[in-house]
Amino acid sequence: MKPNHRHAITSQMMDKSFLADVMKMRGGQNILDCIQCGVCAGSCPASWAMDFTPMQIVRMLHLGMKETVLSSSTIWICASCYTCATRCPRGIDIPLLMSALKNTAIKEKVPARIPIKPKFHKSFADIVQKYGRIHEPELFLKIANKTDMHGLMENATLGWTLLRKGKLRLKAPKVNQKTQWSSLFKNVAKEGSN
Amino acid sequence: MVKQEPKIGVYICRCGCDVEGNISATVDVEKVKEAAASINGVKIAEVYEYVCSNPGQQMIRDGIKEHGLNRIVVAACSPRMHLETFKRNVKQEGLNPYLLEIANIREQCSWIHEDKKLATPKAIDLVVRAVERARNLKPLEEKTVKVNRAALVIGGGIAGINASVELADKGYQVYLVEKGPSIGGHMAQLGKTFPTLDCSSCILTPKMVYVAQHPLIKIFSMSEVTKVEGSPGNYKITIRKRPRFVDATKCTACGECAKKCPITVKSEFEVSLGQRKAIYQPFRQAVPSAYSIDKEHCLYFTKGVCKVCQKFCKANAVDFAQQEETIELNVGAIVVSTGYEILDPYGVRQYSYGLHPDVVTHLQFERLLVQGLHRPSNKEQPKKVAFILCVGSRMVENANDSDYCEYCCNIGCMNAIKEAYVFQKEVPDAEPWVFYTDIRAHGKGYEEFYARLRNHGVRFIRGRAAEVVPNNGHLRVRAADTLLGMPIEEDFDMVVLSSGLVPSPGTETLARMIGIHTGSDGFILERHHKLRPVDTQREGVYACGCALGPKDIRETITESMAVASQVATFLGKGEVPVSAEVAIVDEKKCNGCEECFKFCPARAVEKVPSTFRTRMEINPMSCTGCGICVPVCPKDAIDLNHCTEEQLMAQIRGVEQKDDVSPKILAFIEKNTAYASADLAGQTRAHYGPNIRIISVPSTGRVGFKHLLQAFASGADGVVFVEGEDSAFTGDKLREHVTHLKKDLQTVGVEPLRLVSTTITIPQYPKMVDTFEVFATRVSKIGPLSPKVRLEIGEKLAKLKEGESR
Repeated sequence: MKPNHRHAITSQMMDKSFLADVMKMRGGQNILDCIQCGVCAGSCPASWAMDFTPMQIVRMLHLGMKETVLSSSTIWICASCYTCATRCPRGIDIPLLMSALKNTAIKEKVPARIPIKPKFHKSFADIVQKYGRIHEPELFLKIANKTDMHGLMENATLGWTLLRKGKLRLKAPKVNQKTQWSSLFKNVAKEGSN
Repeated sequence: MVKQEPKIGVYICRCGCDVEGNISATVDVEKVKEAAASINGVKIAEVYEYVCSNPGQQMIRDGIKEHGLNRIVVAACSPRMHLETFKRNVKQEGLNPYLLEIANIREQCSWIHEDKKLATPKAIDLVVRAVERARNLKPLEEKTVKVNRAALVIGGGIAGINASVELADKGYQVYLVEKGPSIGGHMAQLGKTFPTLDCSSCILTPKMVYVAQHPLIKIFSMSEVTKVEGSPGNYKITIRKRPRFVDATKCTACGECAKKCPITVKSEFEVSLGQRKAIYQPFRQAVPSAYSIDKEHCLYFTKGVCKVCQKFCKANAVDFAQQEETIELNVGAIVVSTGYEILDPYGVRQYSYGLHPDVVTHLQFERLLVQGLHRPSNKEQPKKVAFILCVGSRMVENANDSDYCEYCCNIGCMNAIKEAYVFQKEVPDAEPWVFYTDIRAHGKGYEEFYARLRNHGVRFIRGRAAEVVPNNGHLRVRAADTLLGMPIEEDFDMVVLSSGLVPSPGTETLARMIGIHTGSDGFILERHHKLRPVDTQREGVYACGCALGPKDIRETITESMAVASQVATFLGKGEVPVSAEVAIVDEKKCNGCEECFKFCPARAVEKVPSTFRTRMEINPMSCTGCGICVPVCPKDAIDLNHCTEEQLMAQIRGVEQKDDVSPKILAFIEKNTAYASADLAGQTRAHYGPNIRIISVPSTGRVGFKHLLQAFASGADGVVFVEGEDSAFTGDKLREHVTHLKKDLQTVGVEPLRLVSTTITIPQYPKMVDTFEVFATRVSKIGPLSPKVRLEIGEKLAKLKEGESR
C-alpha cells in the first residue's frame, strides 16, 4: 500500500498473527501499553522524512498491518537517536522495535520503499564482520555498485573532501583477536534472528 | 461437657454456573464432592453455584437442621470475602461461628491454575485439610468492650473539614489535627472550581469558620500524630504540637507584626510565586485566625536579635518562649484525610520546568490567575498559553527515573479546561491551547463544560507535548497532532503543566503508625474497592479524600460524608467485640520462665504473683493473637484459640494425602497481609505450581520446630514462610526464628535449604509468586527428602508426643 492517509484500512491489510509475532520481538513486548499520546512522533527529529510517524507504526502494529509497516520508510529512516524512547511515558523501546522490524522485513523479503537502505545496512554489517571495523571506501563502492551512477557522483565530492582531511583510510582496518570477533558475530546471528 | 462427635458438612461452591463458574471452570467440583464425602466424619457434601447467595446459605442452615451438622466446611472463595457472612449464617441456626472453616479453592486454586487435572487434586487437598482442621475446631465466645465516642481526624483539608463537620453535627467529639498553621488545604489555594465556576474560597471559608466555632470540634494546628496505640474503639493517640510563638487566643490577626517584620521569604501558599514575612498567616481567611512565626527564617531564632513583632503587637500575643507540646487523646475511631501533593514536574525534563520561569504547574497558574495574571519572567500579561496535560501521569517509565505515576490524576483535564476559561475571561484576546492525551470529562456537567469551551476559542490538540524549548523570549512547544498524524510546533508566552497528584509526604509513615496499608500507588488502600471504599484494613480506621487517591472536590465531599456515616455507625454501637482468637496460658504447666513475656510484641503477657512462683497470664484485650508465644514456651503451656496445636497439626498432616505432585511444598502464610497478597495473586490470575500448598497462620512465629517435623514427616519436601511486612514478626525477628529452625532441622538430617522465608506487602504478590517458583526449582534440584530421614523424623515426632502426654 502506498502511504495514503485517505486509504481505508480493510481486513485484508490486517494480519492478526503479526501482532503476536511482533510482541515476541525485542522492543515489541509492551507495544499494547501504548496510549497513542504522540510523544514519539512529536519528538522524532527524522519524522519529516518518514512516510509514517513512529506512533502510527505502533498503531498499525496494533491492527496487524504487516505489509504497510514492513514496507514503510519509517523503519529504515529511524536513526536510533532514542529521543522517543527517552520520553515515552509507557516505556516502549521504539528504536529497538524498529531494528526488529528491519530484520523482519529482510527475512520476509519485503521490498523497502527506499531500496538503498537495506542494502546499506547489509553492506555495513558485512564490512564490520570482515574487518572488525568500518572501512568507508569499500562501503562506498559496495553501495555505489548497487545504486545508480547519479548517487555515486553525488557523493564523490564529499568523498574527496574526507580523503583530503585524512578521514578516509584507503587501507582496510584491522582488529586484534579476529577469532573472538567472528564468534561474537556468530552468537549475535544465532540469538538475534528476530 | 460431653465431647460431641464431629458431624461435618462440606459445601462446595462453583462460583458461577456450571463449566463457566469461577471455580468449576478449572476444578472438577463433582470429584471434590466425592472425595469430601468419603472422609471420615463428613455427613454431607454438596455442590452449589453460589454458596454465598441466599439459597446457598439456606442450604447450609438446612444441613445443620436436618443432619445435625456441628462443623461446617465451605470450599469457596477467600475467607477475606465472605467469612463474616457465613459466620452470621451458621450463628442463626445456633451453631457457634468458630466451628466454621473455609477452604479457599478460588484465589488459591482455580484462579491460579488453568489445567483441570492439576487444579482438582489441589482443591481436594485444600478441602481435606480444611475438614481435618474443622474436626478439631472448638466453640469460642466473643466478648465486647465499650467504645470511646470521640473521633480523630488527621488532615485539615476540605476532606477533613467536612468529615469533622458532619461528625460533630451528629453529636460526636472531633479532634482535627492539621500539620500547617491553618486548615483549608489545597482548596484554599484555588480560585474557581469546575464546572460551575464557583469561587473556591467563597464555598470553603464558611465551612472553616463553622469548624472553628463548633463546640464539639477541637482543632490542633501545627500538630502531627506521633503515636497510635490501643485497639479499635479505644485508640490512644499522641500528638506533637509545634510552637506557634504567637498566642492564638490573644492574636487578633491585625497584621501589624507582619508589616514590621524585616524578613521576607517565598510563600508556600502562593507556590513560590509570592512572598510572605517570617511572621505570617498563610492567607487572610486562615483558621485558626492567628499569625505564626517561621522559626527557620525569623531573625530572633537565627541570629538572636530583632523581636520587632513583639514590640508592635498590641494584643501582646507574641511569645518567643512557647515550647513544643505533647498531647494525648483518647478516641474510638480515626479518619485519615491527609490529601495530596503536586508531583514535581522537574523530573519530566523535556518540559523545561524549573529551567524557565514561564513554565509553571497548574497550581501556580491558579495562583497567578487569582493574583492577576502575569508572566513570572517579565510581569507582562501572557496572550498565548499552552496547557500540557498528563505531566508525570500515566507513565510506567521515565528516563530521568524521577517521580512519576502510573495512574490518572483525575482532575488535570477539567482543571486545565477551567483555567483556560478563566484565562480567556481575564485576558481579552487570550489564546489557550490544550495539549491532551485523552480528555476525561467523566463527572456531572463536565462533558458539557468541555463541549462549551471547544466552541469558545480553546484549541484542543490531541497529542502529548514532546518538549518545551525556550525560543527568543517565548516557549516553543513541539508535539504531534495525533488526529492528523502530523508534527506540530507553536510558540507560547507561558506553559502550564498539569502535573500529577501524589500522596502527601508522610502518608506511608502515618499508615505504618496506625497499622493500615498503602497501595502500590502510595495512597491509602481501602478495604474494598467498591463495597467499602472509605474503610481501611484496620477496624475503626477510615480514610477519605485524596488520601485514598486523586479526586475532585465533589467526590471528596461525598467521601467525607460517607466516612462520617461509617464512623458514626462504628461509634454509635457503643461497643466492639473483642476477638476470641487469643492465646491462653495453662496455669498448671506454666513455670514462670518469662520466655513469652520477652517475645510478646503486643505486651499482652502479664506477670501474676501466686503462692509459690510468678505465673504468666495473657490479657485478651491486648493480645493480637499472633501466636508467637506458643512455640517459644519450653513447657508447652500456651495454646492459641482457633489455631490450637491440635488444629494446626491436623492441617499440616493433610500433606499425607495421596497426590503425585513433586516436590511438595508447604507455605505458611501470615493471615492478614501475606494472605491478602496471595488473594491478590489469585485475583490477577498469577500462576504458581499446584505443588504449593498454603496454610494460613496468625503469624509465621506461630510455626515451631515441631510443626516443621510434622510437615516433613507427612511428605513435604520444602517449607516456605511468608510474613506480612507490617506484621509484628517481621525483619530480624523472623530471620532469627528461621535461622534457629534451620539449625534444628540440620540436627535431624534435613537440609537447611528446604526452609525459606520472605516478607511482603499486599501489592508485592509477584514477589511471593517468584519466591514460590524459585524455591520449587531449588527444592526439585535438591530432590525429594529421603524416605529414611522421613521415617526418622516420624519416630522423633512420636517420641516428642509421648513426652507430652506424660
